[in-house]
Amino acid sequence: MKKALGLALAVLVTAAVAASAQGRPKAAEASTAVSCNSTLKIALVTPLTGGAGFLGNEQASWAKYAVKTLAKPLGLKVQLVLGDTPVEQGAAVAQTLAQKYVADSKVVGILGPSTSGAVAASSETYGQAGMAHISPSATRTSLTKGAKLEASNAFFRVVPGDYIQGPSDAKFMVDKLKVKKVVILDFQEPYSVGLADSVEGALKKANVSTTRLSAPNTTTDYSAFVTRVPSDADIVFFPTQKPGDAQTFGQQLLEQGKKAKVFGGDGSNNAAEFKLAGSYVSNFAPDITGIPEDKAIIDGWKKDNKGKAVGSFGPPSYGATQVMLQAIKRACVAGKGTIANKRAVLRQVKKVRIPNWILGGEFRWSTKSNDPLNAKFYIFQIQSNGKYKLVG
Amino acid sequence: MSDSTPHSSQTPASGPAVGQDEWVARHAERRLVRSGRLGTIETRLRRVPWWAWLTLFVALFALFPVVEPSGYVRRVAFDTVLFMLLALGLNVVVGWAGLLDLGFVAFYGIGAYSYAILASDKFGIHFPTLATIPIVVAIGAVLGLALGLPSRRLTGDYLAIVTLFFLQLFQTLMVNGDNVYGHNLTGGPNGILNVDPLHAFGHELAVQHEGVFAVSYLYVALAFFVVVFVALRFANLSRIGRAWRSLREDPLAAEAMGMPVNWLKLLSFACGAAVAAFTGTLFAALNASVFPLTFYFVLLITVYTMVILGGSGSQPGVVAGALIIYPLLEMLRDPNKSRVIFCIALIGALGLAFKLTRTLAIVGLATLAFGFLVHGIAGAIDDSWTSGENAPGFAGVLAHWVVVPASLASWVAPVTYIGVIAAALGLTMIHGRLRLVLLVPTLYLAAFVWENVMLAKPEPARYIVLGLILIALMILRPNGLLGERRVEIV
Amino acid sequence: MDTFIQLTVDGLTLGSVYALIALGYTLVYGVLKLLNFAHGDVFMVGSFIGFGMLQLLGGSADPVLPTWLLLTTITLAAMVGCAGLGVAVERFAYRPLREAPRIAPLISALGVSFFLANSMQLLFGANPRNYDTFALSGGALYFKGVDIGNVKVPLLRIITIAAAIALMVVLWFLVNKTKTGKAMRATSYDREAAAMMGIDIDRVIVFAFVLGSALAGAAGVMFALRVPTQVSIGFIAGLKGFTAAVIGGIGSIPGAMVGGLILGLAESYTQGYWDTRWSDLVVFSILIAFMIIRPQGLLGRADLRKV
Repeated sequence: MKKALGLALAVLVTAAVAASAQGRPKAAEASTAVSCNSTLKIALVTPLTGGAGFLGNEQASWAKYAVKTLAKPLGLKVQLVLGDTPVEQGAAVAQTLAQKYVADSKVVGILGPSTSGAVAASSETYGQAGMAHISPSATRTSLTKGAKLEASNAFFRVVPGDYIQGPSDAKFMVDKLKVKKVVILDFQEPYSVGLADSVEGALKKANVSTTRLSAPNTTTDYSAFVTRVPSDADIVFFPTQKPGDAQTFGQQLLEQGKKAKVFGGDGSNNAAEFKLAGSYVSNFAPDITGIPEDKAIIDGWKKDNKGKAVGSFGPPSYGATQVMLQAIKRACVAGKGTIANKRAVLRQVKKVRIPNWILGGEFRWSTKSNDPLNAKFYIFQIQSNGKYKLVG
Repeated sequence: MSDSTPHSSQTPASGPAVGQDEWVARHAERRLVRSGRLGTIETRLRRVPWWAWLTLFVALFALFPVVEPSGYVRRVAFDTVLFMLLALGLNVVVGWAGLLDLGFVAFYGIGAYSYAILASDKFGIHFPTLATIPIVVAIGAVLGLALGLPSRRLTGDYLAIVTLFFLQLFQTLMVNGDNVYGHNLTGGPNGILNVDPLHAFGHELAVQHEGVFAVSYLYVALAFFVVVFVALRFANLSRIGRAWRSLREDPLAAEAMGMPVNWLKLLSFACGAAVAAFTGTLFAALNASVFPLTFYFVLLITVYTMVILGGSGSQPGVVAGALIIYPLLEMLRDPNKSRVIFCIALIGALGLAFKLTRTLAIVGLATLAFGFLVHGIAGAIDDSWTSGENAPGFAGVLAHWVVVPASLASWVAPVTYIGVIAAALGLTMIHGRLRLVLLVPTLYLAAFVWENVMLAKPEPARYIVLGLILIALMILRPNGLLGERRVEIV
Repeated sequence: MDTFIQLTVDGLTLGSVYALIALGYTLVYGVLKLLNFAHGDVFMVGSFIGFGMLQLLGGSADPVLPTWLLLTTITLAAMVGCAGLGVAVERFAYRPLREAPRIAPLISALGVSFFLANSMQLLFGANPRNYDTFALSGGALYFKGVDIGNVKVPLLRIITIAAAIALMVVLWFLVNKTKTGKAMRATSYDREAAAMMGIDIDRVIVFAFVLGSALAGAAGVMFALRVPTQVSIGFIAGLKGFTAAVIGGIGSIPGAMVGGLILGLAESYTQGYWDTRWSDLVVFSILIAFMIIRPQGLLGRADLRKV
């Protein structure tokens, strides 16, 4: 009798409170105006730990450098906060972080999320809250193109998507390298699978014979894969995010006497780690060490980050930070020293144009989508001295 | 140690009575109770019926969003309730039946994926929630039974291996399920998106309002929690619960007494799996997406820490464990909060170790003095050695005590970290006054390492704290906060 | 036929590393009846110690020692370092729990594994570390080798397999022909009886940990010579080593060796002949099949429990 009473009481209380509190959502945007004289925050959402941690750490170091050097000249006081979305823990973390930043009125913009999966999971939250999120590396095509967009219209990216990289890589392979047989690998995570699909589709259209292999994300030893590469294959498309793996794979190809060369995506662009002569790398920017306007930036970054090499994930985050800071500045000017809410910054993002873009040329947004205008991919071949030479 | 005396809180029955189990009736006499005022308080608190505690707890939790409007905090509260549910489920298998199930979070994932498949655009199936939830729970229970089948012949360690591999199997299947002979079954690493929110009676429960977490989900979660807590409690107080306890204490004796040991094991697996699957539906509905990597090792260790901390075998205990660990993990993401937590933890640990004695005062003052001394000397030698922190607030205040260099040479972090671990471990081997003397610099070094090394990277630091909690718990207090000490008769 | 030989060579190389890790599990399980979940992370630490040592000795582009001496030095350094780590872990995380219920050291092992992996990440970051063996003596380790039919087996793989076999022989000798080895075997049969016979159980257990961890360290270096190492490899390597130990029969030293090789070959053949994605699945299915049909593994003893 007592137990039943207790149970009934518990349920009743819960129901009562639930009924009373229903339908009273507190919007986080009420009274969230921030003054441009106070310290504003932007959050970088990227994997800082786990298997993809090197990516996030590189992006963080460049974003920090950008905030340090660009905020003051714009008259802003900006603090960079870091949010970790390890790939091993899936995208639920991205959503919790999204909630955290949406609730914080001082956070006026998001850099990232860096991984396409995290974008898909949290873009709706950011979109509904009107918070601009500019990603330096989420390239999955279905985020901004296709039947069902996975990202909201508050999502921007400063690098072109796989829908450009895939076909351009395939075109290069067909036109310049005259390939007949290509082996395509993916690593069972969103970035490589998307890119591999894109390249495979484009190659199939050009009547090139393709073999598709799939490696578990935790694979470290690719020997068996190398064995499966036919001895008459011309190219192995290897869209890894770990340049060291591309190097190892290429070495194992040589070891087993296969003639195929490794063709890496933008994730493998790292002259210090991937330096096997004869291999190809595609990237959304020419090597920025070759752009004279960037010399000051690179030297400054190197001073702050002694002993680290310039990779391919860092400079786009510098660029994304730059766009974000400009948007914030515009919002401050438009709001006469106050940013009314996060949407104020969102509205300004599309208007930003950067004449001396760190990745070369001028940066403008495409009018049709939130992707960069006229983005193209550059293809390099690694020379015998380890240098990357632009070939396409 | 405060002294305890066996104490009976109710008058014993006058002689054996028919139909009444005297041993069970006199169980209160066998409880050790503290004497003195603390003892009376404890006895009075124990008299409060369990459902009153539950109601109070739920009411407080439900009132929480009223005082805290931040969507983030409410979301953390929701996640905590999910973890409480998971802890309750794991408690059934590990705490009550005594089986080490390392594949538990796979059922969480199975529940989430089943819900996602049955209520999303993936295959175009959109079952109403009231139909999906029982189906998902049933799937979870059946698969729990399936996992339990090999356990009939396996003992502790082997069972742990098989369940761990079941988790790995689940991962592999989910990640590769996007190309099973050309069919995309599970979405692979991209997961399943656009999962329906909960809907019943024609109304859909929106997941967020303008980006902010919808508090109604917190209440749904609390309702789930109450149902599961009460149901499991009834199960525990019944014959099945007693049978589980006998299985846990000594499987061989239980079998000899005629307990259907195999069936009990299967039942515990099925129950735990059903609870996890139940929780999975809520998880999938709120996040509107499922990804395979969420349900993996890190989550497993987190739930285990909650169960062990709270006291495996005790339902209020594991709930308390979840309540402590998850918000702690979230707070440790933020360096400012981490700092405060560290200081509180340090003072608390010292307090527990030395109680309120002279030694505590001496050690505390000595550490403070030592710190100021080192800080002063370091600042005098080179100003950049102490000028790293100039933020206002607690960080700045603390920076007068802890040495915070402007920039850290790369050898400092590994050397000091390993140094502090070695020092702490070495201290456990020394005894007497020397130990107290060496404790002071070790404490200061620990503060230094925390401030400079671990706060620089809060993410691995969180998990290091989790791992240390687990190890320390097993060595110092394996029964956790509210669990009962178990003795294994070898 | 060429593919078969190639895959077999691949499998044996992989299998040697797994066998060494499995031996560590088996040794510890034999004396303590504990599955040391932290073993995989000791393996990972070994590969990092090897990397550090390599950098100290000039890096592979410009080493101060000739190749053979260099490789031996870094392997020894890793073995010594890991042995120390293993002893510390045993002393502080497992010894206090020797009389506790069986579940306690298992959970403590989980905690240690977590702690080690995240500490390494805290200190050294998540970047992969490449030994860059290719640069060592101009790629000699990759290009010189032995030819079997049409397949060229490079020196690097031969070294890996040979070193593993050598270490296993040394281990066999230590376990079967020395007094401490005998004490270890006695302890694994019956700990209490061994104690009553005057064997110092603590020292025997430390000996087992030293051997097991040293082997893991050597495995770490051999692994990292061929592929870049990261802080996150510990968990999976531990699982695979585990699987190998269990398939071969946990508690049995020749079983661990056999299990490791079988596992490596199974993985290699599955990836080569069937589909690369299901290699993990096949491995785990083999394990689960063994657990259900023959829990004591191939060469293990079916334990009779005395009541």
